[in-house]
Amino acid sequence: MKARAFDPGAHRLVICLGPGGVGKTTLSAAIALNAAIRGRSVDVMTVDPAPRLLDALGLEGDATQPRDVALAGLGARRGGRLRALKLDPKQTFDGLIELYAPSAAARDAILSNRIYQNLSNALAGVADYMAMERLLELHRDATTGVIVLDTPPAQEAIDFLDAPRRMLDLLGSRALSLLGASRGLLRGPLAMFDFAARAVLAAFDRLTGLHLLADVQAFVRGFEGMYGGFAERAAEAQALVRGEDSLVVVVTTAEAERVAQAREFVAALEELGFRVGAVAVNRVMAPIPGAAELERAEIPAALKRKLMRNLADFAALKRRESLSIEELRETLPLKTPLVIAPDLGREPRTLRDLAEIGGSLRYA
Amino acid sequence: MALPRLIFVTGKGGTGKSTVAAALATAISRRRPVTVADLERRRSVARIIGVDLNGAESAAVTDNLEIAALTPRAELEAFIEGIVPLKAISSRMLRSRTFGYVSAALPGLEAFLMMERLRLMAGRAALEDRYAVIDAPATGGAIELLSVARGVKRIASRGTLNRLAGTLEEFLSDADRFGVILTVRPEGLALRETLDAAAELRGRLGVRCIAAVLNGVAEELFTDAEITKVRALGEPARLAARRREGAKNAARARRELEAADLEVVELPMLFSAALGREELATLADSFAAGTIMG
Repeated sequence: MKARAFDPGAHRLVICLGPGGVGKTTLSAAIALNAAIRGRSVDVMTVDPAPRLLDALGLEGDATQPRDVALAGLGARRGGRLRALKLDPKQTFDGLIELYAPSAAARDAILSNRIYQNLSNALAGVADYMAMERLLELHRDATTGVIVLDTPPAQEAIDFLDAPRRMLDLLGSRALSLLGASRGLLRGPLAMFDFAARAVLAAFDRLTGLHLLADVQAFVRGFEGMYGGFAERAAEAQALVRGEDSLVVVVTTAEAERVAQAREFVAALEELGFRVGAVAVNRVMAPIPGAAELERAEIPAALKRKLMRNLADFAALKRRESLSIEELRETLPLKTPLVIAPDLGREPRTLRDLAEIGGSLRYA
Repeated sequence: MALPRLIFVTGKGGTGKSTVAAALATAISRRRPVTVADLERRRSVARIIGVDLNGAESAAVTDNLEIAALTPRAELEAFIEGIVPLKAISSRMLRSRTFGYVSAALPGLEAFLMMERLRLMAGRAALEDRYAVIDAPATGGAIELLSVARGVKRIASRGTLNRLAGTLEEFLSDADRFGVILTVRPEGLALRETLDAAAELRGRLGVRCIAAVLNGVAEELFTDAEITKVRALGEPARLAARRREGAKNAARARRELEAADLEVVELPMLFSAALGREELATLADSFAAGTIMG
């Protein structure tokens, strides 16, 4: 009996989470393509795709706006449409500043600020937060039926889903707003706090040679008027990813190391109140046949022995993989389904490869 | 040994960095004491070696093998406590949200302090005639980490950080104290990234590349003629072709890596139903048999 197909394309939003190197981007693209072939109107946002995948999706160059992917020859149903885009965190952040800055001068002050430049270039959480921001933009397009989201590689499951809250915590911290507030408005205990914060930072500046105090103050002043806009959008993004119509898929491979990580991901997500829609094990080998048929084949004995040996080797790998998947299944919450994505035996490099993966996703 | 005191293991995601770091540390521990450390929050090396650190910073696995976890936050705290003369002020600083904000807004600061910690580890290793193996982030993150001293020099034109950044640059280009191992799987994609990374490490950063570790090389079984002969046999034939393909990829990878003047260490694909300490010891044998350990 063939296992039931996994078709997450029935959801409005599919979010693929997982550690680096498990094929999140490939799987996101495969899920999106499969939904498009089944006649849905799909957007997929990728993060740092490998060159071959960029090629397959037609995402070379500056592809930060959705681009149509040609579905010709893939047997797509009528109405099926796929658009793909790449996430550019820095550009997205700059765009937000443009949107919320009260004036051109305020905008330029922020964009050229040293603190802002460091924030937007390097802080890992910024990429996560900006992925959320792009998600809101895609979500607003009513012609799109399904949005599939690849996410930055995460050490921990909450890195992505919790990004808006953490960013807001940071940007809205009381110490920060006090630092930026003009003198004279602060009286009593608040002024004391302000003084302490300044003193701490000044001491740090002197010791390290960083000279940050002025930059921090300028940044905070510039950011004051925009905080409300950011907070509103973060709340909106949070509601969206936690919504009934969203499916969180934790992606892993069958290696023991990754399985342990995936398990931790799921536990952490459950604790935060996220429903994990599925755990997808990527690159699962096809079953290895027994040796009986090979036994009967009429080929030289030496060659047959080598084929037998090869079969036994792959069978051992398959056994290791099955044990690992079994262990994962046993330790996952009962309500969390396990999904198997096949290993093609080669690196996926064409749309056809992606369609093959997307079309053969099965519940385990 | 011909190895530098601190060996920084990096590679594309999924190429087996943690396994390679654990195997190399196992090989070294047969001759000298060694610490293998996780740089991120992954705890992968600990899992592979089969030790639970349980939140501790380090634990002894055998007499010669120690496992450790380095976290940016702990390094930041140690640094602040080191440069701020009064305990009361340093703890006040660390508690303040302003400071948390500044350290978050300057992610280079945490990376820099992490590198500073590695420099100190290498120094201590030289004194005690021991070694340190680091399970580093994937290639992109690793190069960012190794470039951080430059960035810090740019934003701190004088003061403690500027001075430390200079010392750090010296450390990274000292072949006796610091070197990188690049892990790679015999696949086209990973290979390209490895060659690019090696060029950047040596060229722009002046860092020593000890070796490229070709991970998961299956013993060669078939010739092309044999593959053609058994083509009609269905699944066994497909698996044989796959093995042949893997062998060809490995040979090509070895050629290209050697052409780029990289020492190549091949680790065998282990066809076993489990990956435990015994398998780790087998992988360690491959390091011991090669030339990189001298």
